[in-house]
Amino acid sequence: MTQRAPTRKERRDQARAERVAREQEAARRAQFRRRLGILGGVVGLAIVAVVVAIALSSSGGSDKSSTTGQTTSLFAGIPEKGITLGKPNAPVTLEEYGDLQCPFCREYTLNALPTLVRDYVRTGKVKMVFHNLSFIGPDSVTAGRVAQAAGMQNKLWPFIDRFYANQGQENTGYVTRDFLDKVASQVPGLDKQKLFSDADSAASQTGLAAANASANTRGVKSTPRFFVSVNGKPAQELQPSSLTPGGFESQLNAFLAKAT
Amino acid sequence: MTERRLRIAIAVASLLGLGIAAYLTYVHYAHTTVLCVAGGGGCEKVQNSDQSKLAGIPVAVLGLVGYAGIFGSALVRGEAARIGGALLALIGIGFSLYLTYAEIFLIHAICQWCVASCVVMAILAALTCARLLLPDEGAARAPSGSRGELGARVG
Repeated sequence: MTQRAPTRKERRDQARAERVAREQEAARRAQFRRRLGILGGVVGLAIVAVVVAIALSSSGGSDKSSTTGQTTSLFAGIPEKGITLGKPNAPVTLEEYGDLQCPFCREYTLNALPTLVRDYVRTGKVKMVFHNLSFIGPDSVTAGRVAQAAGMQNKLWPFIDRFYANQGQENTGYVTRDFLDKVASQVPGLDKQKLFSDADSAASQTGLAAANASANTRGVKSTPRFFVSVNGKPAQELQPSSLTPGGFESQLNAFLAKAT
Repeated sequence: MTERRLRIAIAVASLLGLGIAAYLTYVHYAHTTVLCVAGGGGCEKVQNSDQSKLAGIPVAVLGLVGYAGIFGSALVRGEAARIGGALLALIGIGFSLYLTYAEIFLIHAICQWCVASCVVMAILAALTCARLLLPDEGAARAPSGSRGELGARVG
């Protein structure tokens, strides 16, 4: 059986179909190249955005400076003993669990604390207690021991205020002797030689261990956390609505109302 | 995979990411403890770290916005949605990888929520890039036919 030779029309149709297929393939490739080009542009834009984001993240994005003068005026004339700030007979006690490397504790200390100290501690309504935790890393322990030593000179509060103002990026080993020396220099009346000597003593370690034990008892696993007690009664947790003065004021006022 | 299926997959994955980011945003503003299945306080350390904020904005909030944007891009057809979705997902995975580096080398703690978010973002980056590389819808449907038909659909 012999195969019939394609007619002229069939040959023309076949040639046209092949040409269309070639054109389709070329168009498909051109479009894929165009799409790869778009993807390349999108990747480039994304890389630029990520680099900017990382640069912002590394810089911290906020001003960490404040002056020694502000610290002096904030705490001047307020009684301090160990880890407690305020008049011993203040009816309400506000306890804070903080880590010196914790950025939220820094936010609280720099944004809310000055107003709370001025309105509640200086007026004798509230006394504050700082439980120095050191769970973030080795820099927290180094800083915590020196803060405890500052407490031995009844200068814990201005010391932690200055520490937070100079706080660096956590666990980068920034809490060096030079750094601590710089922070201590911003606390008026602090004996630096005694400070570093006390920081190496067993007493400073005991202070940190006591804070840690207290946190474990109360189930504190993050910082900052706050507890309030009225006239020495068992403490209740205070959950601020924000780390600004307004986040604390209404609840503190409610506790003060109970105290009278 | 067709564009429709890719869009469904992107929508599902971005909803998962939205859930994670919403939980971490809630934890941030409610000042509650992060539920960390593995324990060990890793999540608290990461949530309290410098890297948990970008220019003062919590990273969880940025994640929430990013996942919402990617979800929105999955609901819409067209070139702008394809490009926008891929751009958000690529920025998301780039920053997530940086945060994972920070967790390991700077914070020395791993937060499983952040790892989960990083995995979801990696999946979204792959899906949105695949969607971006798909042929134009008209071209994808163009049958082999006469030169006139091809020219009208592709050209």
